[in-house]
Amino acid sequence: MVRTLPLADSRANSSSRRFLWWRILAAAPPLLFLAVFFAWPVVAILLRGLRPDGVWDFSAFGEVVADPTMRRVLWFTIWESIASTVLCVLFALPGAALFARYRFRGKRLLWSALLVPFVLPTVVVAVSLLGVIGSGGLTGVNLSGTVWAILIAHVFFNYAVVVRTVGSTWSTIDPRLEESAQALGARPWRVFAEVTWPLIRSSVAAASSIVFLFSFTSFGIVLILGGSTHRTLEVEIYDQTAKFLHLDIAAVLALLQLLVVVMILVWFGRSQRRRSVLFDQRSATETEKPAGTPRQRWFIRSNIAFIAVLFGTPLAVLVVRSFATPEGWGFGFYRALTNSRGGSTSFVPPIDAIGNSLLFASIATAIALVLGLCAAWAIVGDGSAHSETRFSRWTDTALMIPLGTSAVTVGFGFLIVFDEPPLNLRSSLWLIPIAHAVVALPFVVRLLVPALRSIDPRLREAAATLGASPRRVWLSVEVPIVGRALAAAAGFAFAVSLGEFGATAFLVRPDRPTMPIAIYRALGRPGEYNFGQAMAMSTILMLLTVVVMLLIDRFRPASVSEF
Amino acid sequence: MRRLIAAGLLALTVLGGACASEKSETSSSVSPVLVDGSLPRFENSVTLRVMTHDSFAVSQSVLDEFESATNVRVELVSSGDAVAMTNAAILTVGNPVADVIFGFDENLLGSVLRSDLLQQYRPERLENVDPAFVIDESGMATPIDHGNVCVNFDRGAFLASGTPIPSTFEELVDPSVKNDFVVEDPSTSTPGLAFMLATIAKFGGGDDATDGAAWLNYWKQLKANGLSVVDSWETAYYANFSGGSGKGDRPLVVSYASSPPAEVSDTSLPVDQSPTGVVTQTCYRQTEFAGILRGASQPQAAAAFIEFMLGGSFQADVPGQMYVYPVVTSTPLPDTFAKYTAPVDAPLALPYSDVAANRERWISQWSALFR
Repeated sequence: MVRTLPLADSRANSSSRRFLWWRILAAAPPLLFLAVFFAWPVVAILLRGLRPDGVWDFSAFGEVVADPTMRRVLWFTIWESIASTVLCVLFALPGAALFARYRFRGKRLLWSALLVPFVLPTVVVAVSLLGVIGSGGLTGVNLSGTVWAILIAHVFFNYAVVVRTVGSTWSTIDPRLEESAQALGARPWRVFAEVTWPLIRSSVAAASSIVFLFSFTSFGIVLILGGSTHRTLEVEIYDQTAKFLHLDIAAVLALLQLLVVVMILVWFGRSQRRRSVLFDQRSATETEKPAGTPRQRWFIRSNIAFIAVLFGTPLAVLVVRSFATPEGWGFGFYRALTNSRGGSTSFVPPIDAIGNSLLFASIATAIALVLGLCAAWAIVGDGSAHSETRFSRWTDTALMIPLGTSAVTVGFGFLIVFDEPPLNLRSSLWLIPIAHAVVALPFVVRLLVPALRSIDPRLREAAATLGASPRRVWLSVEVPIVGRALAAAAGFAFAVSLGEFGATAFLVRPDRPTMPIAIYRALGRPGEYNFGQAMAMSTILMLLTVVVMLLIDRFRPASVSEF
Repeated sequence: MRRLIAAGLLALTVLGGACASEKSETSSSVSPVLVDGSLPRFENSVTLRVMTHDSFAVSQSVLDEFESATNVRVELVSSGDAVAMTNAAILTVGNPVADVIFGFDENLLGSVLRSDLLQQYRPERLENVDPAFVIDESGMATPIDHGNVCVNFDRGAFLASGTPIPSTFEELVDPSVKNDFVVEDPSTSTPGLAFMLATIAKFGGGDDATDGAAWLNYWKQLKANGLSVVDSWETAYYANFSGGSGKGDRPLVVSYASSPPAEVSDTSLPVDQSPTGVVTQTCYRQTEFAGILRGASQPQAAAAFIEFMLGGSFQADVPGQMYVYPVVTSTPLPDTFAKYTAPVDAPLALPYSDVAANRERWISQWSALFR
């Protein structure tokens, strides 16, 4: 351990003061962005509910608290999201280990394909899941309407979040740490508990907080798979806002949701901070290896088998249905996609929908990456212990809140605040990538913060001592190290945008639909061909997702080993 | 209490958009626009914004016809389903996102009128419309198309099992169709709401706030007979219904009277029956309306568009594009409609004011039984 000289100490202090200014400057763009495109609309719609005549009216609080249905909804939402998070982490940790530690055929493809469920519209996934665990489904077990269907679907949707977040951290851990523990006689479980776990804890916490928020605000899954008996707070808020326009009740529920979300985020933030451990990073190519022992081969095979069952079956149902035309197996539904049904306004050539989706997703990813980098840098500061300030903690929490807020609250908020020049954006196409970026930003931050935090501050200090400017330090020390996290973040941001439905449905113009909107539109009409086209379009979206993720992976910046 | 707050909220919305409401007061009614019965031509090209639900569709050639005749460019604005669209419009009353709103039905008509969303316009072409559809006396909401929400059945499944196909509400609770019926949740789905209203129209008890209301007793029988309730038409039709393109195992579903023609995928084949059919006794009327939004920047072009929607080419286009029927009943129907739909003579209906006044209570009574 290097002893710090008093001289060096005072240098560090003055540089940290300089850092504070840099950090506030860096935090400004993302916070301003969220203030305008998230906080303002949400506060406006809450005020419509709680201050109807310019006078505060809190009577709705009493109504909600006294209503046993609402209490039941709140309780169900909380426990179903905790259960989903725990299950998802339990099932996904072996997957993270698989991708972090082993080299096997088809690894890159599988890594990219994991994001597919994340991108497909809920209604499509739910209908294909029902083809497996619904009435008359493949397994013969009918779980539809039970909480099990909801939990399975949440694991299905969020598996990639945990595997990709934890996997990218895990792959940077030097396997020699684990090997030496093993050489000293520790059993595998003990190696995991005492060596690996402390190093991945912070990224597990990061992933868990996202899974929790997604399960907490689950909407389509709960509606379609949960039957009429299971309702989340999100469903209730949607109904009170969009169906009944009871903005007062909706505001109370939205505040409740916000309260729980903030409490959970603060808790996760604490555990994430306490558990952050610095370690020397290794590149993924150094840490992965082919299976050596039979035990390892078994581990790889059973893992892949699990992924095949969890993802393979429902997605295969979907693909099979896209080829099962009334005239027999074939490309009939795909051909029908290009046939304009008498030139209807609701018809959009699939190539246009793909174009729209790619365009919106590219803009959203760019916005989210730039703002996310600023935010992550502001949160982490120079990475030293005293860079943990209240400021960084609150920035961190604030950026996550959009994930825990319902799309309808934001969507209706947009309608009432962006209604006058200069921000008359209500029907502007820009709102779509902006709304997507709001949702994608937390992913970017969640992936970048642990990566930045795990950089040994001594590396930065060394570079600074050698005379490098902050910019230079950032480019030559941080960018290469966060490269992998950045690629993963870009992938997630892109996937979030490709798959976003809730907010897009409110904002999109009918002549510029994204792929999920086009799929939903086909599914909203009766007839074999409409259903088939929805399945065909979903299959195309799956392929597109895999291709885009493979491309993003390929272009990730050089990592540690290269410098 | 909630209604009071809602009213207060609307008052605030109107006050809030003070400048917008001043503008609209002078134009709360739009004067006739047709020139000798044909669409007017605007000197300067204008853009007309039309707010619709996400199942709106019209043939591009028909829309082009309007654009070239009037020199008006149409831009569609969508805001989710019909309910979300209507509430989005109510939220922005006086300073609307669009000029015309199309696609709210009689179940939403009450809240549309109560929130003072529209300007008055009495289309000249309304005289061609079957008076049964002219529901709004105030001349704000113009009927454009209509359909029927009915129980659909899977013909093949009933033929195979030899069970008689139900033809009345009562036969839907017969033990022979136990576990066979799937409906949509009336609180989340438009056809689900229509079916619930159909049972109220049929069995009565709509003014009975207890859980012993006559219509609720019918639902108790449905429940005892293994009824399945799902969130939406998509789930019911594609995941639970066995007929047509359905992938489920239940041969009875709440859908539309116009669904069967869509299940005939190859009309050249010599079949005279669609794979699915309709229980006509269970049908509930659904009319879709259009109106000119208060605060519209192009009220004249909006009026021209409403006349156009009542014109021959748009009316003839609605069955093929939106699976609904024209309100100008003399309009010829496409062959598949004439061939594969059963005539619905006297669909059930409730006065829209009753629906507006009681809808929430009925839904909560229903929910108490099913949640």
